[in-house]
Amino acid sequence: MISGIVADIQRASVHDGPGIRTTVFLKGCPLHCAWCHNPECIERAPQLMYYPEKCIGCGSCDKGCFSGARVICGKEMSVEEVLKEVLLDKDYYGTDGGVTFSGGEPFMQSEFLNALIDACKAEGIHCAVETSLIYFDAEIFRKVDLVMADLKIWDDELHKKYTGVSNEKIKTHFCQLSELHIPVIARTPVIPGICQEIDKISEFLKELSNVEKYELLPYHPLGGAKREALGIEPDGFTIPSKEFMEELEKYVFIRE
Amino acid sequence: MYSYASRLKAMRDTKIAHTLAKRKQNGYTDLDDFGTVPISEGYFVEPWYNSTNGSFYGYDGMCENFCRVLDAHEPYIDPNEMLCGRWRDMLVNYRGDLHYMPDWLKKNPKTQEFMKSATNQWSKRWDEQRFPYDHLKPLQEKYNITTGIDGDAHFACDYRIGFELGFGGLLKKIDKYRAINLDKREFYDAEERTVEAIISFVQRHIDKLETMIAKEENRAVRNNLIEMKQTCENIRYNAPSTFQEACQWTAFFNCASRIYTRDGAGFQLDGLLYPYYERDVKAGILDDEKAKFLIANLLLIDPHYYQISGVDENDKDMTNHLSYLILEAADSINIATNLTVRVHENCDKEFMKKAVYYLLKNKNGWPRFCNDKALAEGYMRNGIDKKTARERIAVGCNWMCVPGKEFPMNDTVKVNVAKVLDEALKDLRKEEIRSTERLFEIYEEHLKKAVEVTAEGVNLHIDHAWEVTPELVMNLMMKNTLERGEDISQCAELYTVGIDGAGLAVVADSFGALQTRVEEEKLLTWDEMYEALDSDFADERTRLILNSAPKYCQGGTISDEWAKRLTESWVRIVKAQSMPEGRQFIPGWFSWSRTIEYGSKVGATPNGRRSGAPISHGANPNPHFRTDGAPTAQANGIASVQCGYGNTAPLQIEFDPKLAADEKGVDTVLRLIESHFNQGGTLININILDSEKLLEANENPDLHPDLVVRVTGFTAYFASLSPQFRQLVVDRFLQGI
Ligand code: SF4
Ligand code: SF4
Repeated sequence: MISGIVADIQRASVHDGPGIRTTVFLKGCPLHCAWCHNPECIERAPQLMYYPEKCIGCGSCDKGCFSGARVICGKEMSVEEVLKEVLLDKDYYGTDGGVTFSGGEPFMQSEFLNALIDACKAEGIHCAVETSLIYFDAEIFRKVDLVMADLKIWDDELHKKYTGVSNEKIKTHFCQLSELHIPVIARTPVIPGICQEIDKISEFLKELSNVEKYELLPYHPLGGAKREALGIEPDGFTIPSKEFMEELEKYVFIRE
Repeated sequence: MYSYASRLKAMRDTKIAHTLAKRKQNGYTDLDDFGTVPISEGYFVEPWYNSTNGSFYGYDGMCENFCRVLDAHEPYIDPNEMLCGRWRDMLVNYRGDLHYMPDWLKKNPKTQEFMKSATNQWSKRWDEQRFPYDHLKPLQEKYNITTGIDGDAHFACDYRIGFELGFGGLLKKIDKYRAINLDKREFYDAEERTVEAIISFVQRHIDKLETMIAKEENRAVRNNLIEMKQTCENIRYNAPSTFQEACQWTAFFNCASRIYTRDGAGFQLDGLLYPYYERDVKAGILDDEKAKFLIANLLLIDPHYYQISGVDENDKDMTNHLSYLILEAADSINIATNLTVRVHENCDKEFMKKAVYYLLKNKNGWPRFCNDKALAEGYMRNGIDKKTARERIAVGCNWMCVPGKEFPMNDTVKVNVAKVLDEALKDLRKEEIRSTERLFEIYEEHLKKAVEVTAEGVNLHIDHAWEVTPELVMNLMMKNTLERGEDISQCAELYTVGIDGAGLAVVADSFGALQTRVEEEKLLTWDEMYEALDSDFADERTRLILNSAPKYCQGGTISDEWAKRLTESWVRIVKAQSMPEGRQFIPGWFSWSRTIEYGSKVGATPNGRRSGAPISHGANPNPHFRTDGAPTAQANGIASVQCGYGNTAPLQIEFDPKLAADEKGVDTVLRLIESHFNQGGTLININILDSEKLLEANENPDLHPDLVVRVTGFTAYFASLSPQFRQLVVDRFLQGI
């Protein structure tokens, strides 16, 4: 029985791909984006998160916490267990909705991911992945219905500085996806203060016929509370203004 | 400027001013807006009491006081509008029952004099001197039953009768049958006076319009007033013959029936008005812009429950051009409206999309959606034919009714199942071997008793309502009433009486928590659990152990299983309850907006709910049932607890999906609606709200006096709700983000 570490399963998600979806967050990511909105998904192993404001001071931590103050993020789950949860909303998926595997970097648990996709496909469920494209697994890419992939910063040095890895592989993987004609929605999280060179990213993506759409996602401080709960310093970034986003949108190519 | 657009804006502004003025006069009201206008200067009614307990009953009592209240109503005419008439005050205010009395009436010194005999008892609405039910009260209180005794107007008129006859035709009908049923003189006298009072209400509008016309200098306004006067004159006695006349006739009738017993049941709006629309358009006297304005005006006058779309008895789509105009009209005025779209797979898909579009665009809680398949097929299971089942339309908070034929008492009869659990827990404590299975047995024993005593109360009401609160206004548009000289409570064709359970999630989660935390995981013993309940959870950790157990609507949990089992049991017990004279109960799950009141009667429960805290709303899960608040999870859960006999277990969702009113947004919400209905769901109330606006309005309601929320089946202006109630809506909302 194949199993993996799941950080969370969110149902009725309407912003992680088309239609109504269930998003499965797999734990573990080789990148370390400074703005990471899911910092609890970077470590592969389960982690303790502590929310002091919820603590009632009962002093019985050893017997289990029921207040939500101490929670373990990350649970070993079998494919069947995940599938069971995914199937709960099957009636609501229709033809375009379905399941999105996100993370972390879902390809870090590629065997588990592969098995999950097989299981979902066998049930006729639309499968999408959200990936940093640091890995390239052609077998999986061929199976999924939609790939959402990030190209976060154009300049490699800056990319290394802010994510801990070079973007060379990522760019190559974008091209490889194109060769395989696998449809992609490309995205860039917009982080004010970092020279991401949206224009160059857009130029690059425009040439790839498989990139159906290029989207800018404004930085969201969602990860803040989770960073605190993990005992990590705040990331110090701010939300981009509406005007800034509108300005950047001008550089984003639109596929006819 | 006297364009439709500018007039609508002015009408909307007046509405907002009225909302604020009413709050000043009435204090907070956790009720439907009802479309009333503020009480005017010098308004006063001297009630006539015909009972020694300081109230009035029966044909003469109700008729006399109805005439007094209606006669005291000044005509309401706004030159911006095309329709006239509004109501301000209702009969029940004068029945010596302080519970119902609005602030403005209490403050009036003259009223205080008349009300010396008034007490704070419910009994004044029901004539307990003649029809006592003291023998039922102990059990009714024990199970916190909303008895339906003294309930009124929870059925629906067949407007076709009124449209066909007009007020004059109704008088003739009264005369005709008075000559046949010679022993029913009192009934016919009262009905005749009732109609005459409405006719003179219309006449007063004609008189006022005349003076206004004489003074009006603006030609466009003057022409409008002349047209209004002509319309009123045409329908004062005669049946309506144009679209405008049908709308105006409806407005007058609705004012009267609201004043009488707060009746809020409308009709199939796009069906009944369509022939008038078609005829007028052909005759060249009506265009779509005017039709929309008239509909908007009608919706402004009164937030009656109207159904639109759906299918006929042959499953043929009933959506027509007027259905679209109604949505556009509601959008143009965008106030609290109670439009329900009936959904069927044969219905025009574009229309459904448009309905959802307005829900997303305006974020004002309209329209709502009901599911034809589950409702019609369910109702047929009571032994009713398909044609009749299709006629049963959405005309109330949670309820459906066959216009003209049915006496369902819907939404007036409820059993607080959380209180039933409370009683069962007390009994289980005395037993040596305790288990959830044993608790369930005891719970069912109590539930049987609760349903039994509810039935006795309902039968008392049906047997004597005609002597206490005969429905003189609504009787005019019911079958058999005028024909036989009987009140509708005596002569309805269908007595399919709705009985709702309230507090499902509290009970399901309690059983779930006991099974997991006490029985399976043994984190607590039964004694420790009882101690926790006794002390109202003095130890917070114990409360959290219970409260964090798997909950109803999380999906595939033990509590989800319990909710299904509780539903099966509720349906079985309700349907097994025998009733006399062809009456039968129909089960549903619904609390209405009584969650605070019901909760105040229930001690601490094993789901970690503190003593006196509100119970769960309708068929909804408890707040914070999932961290992602997934509406699909809620919809799945609620689909699995449908009672299956044509009454509802509504899905009430409040959330901010951050979806634009574009194709993706509309498709997503429509998918949610259709999927829930495919699963057997019956009714959906969706509040799509702007979270920032809601939170701002909760801080300072006057910032957004136009904010409308669908509190339960009904909508209300957020600014009119009490702070406690506003918080409840906000709490419910946050879970859905
Ligand atoms: S068990 Fe939880 S609530 Fe109790 S002290 Fe530990 S962290 Fe706080
Ligand atoms: S790739 Fe995604 S999950 Fe990984 S560090 Fe970056 S933002 Fe976080």
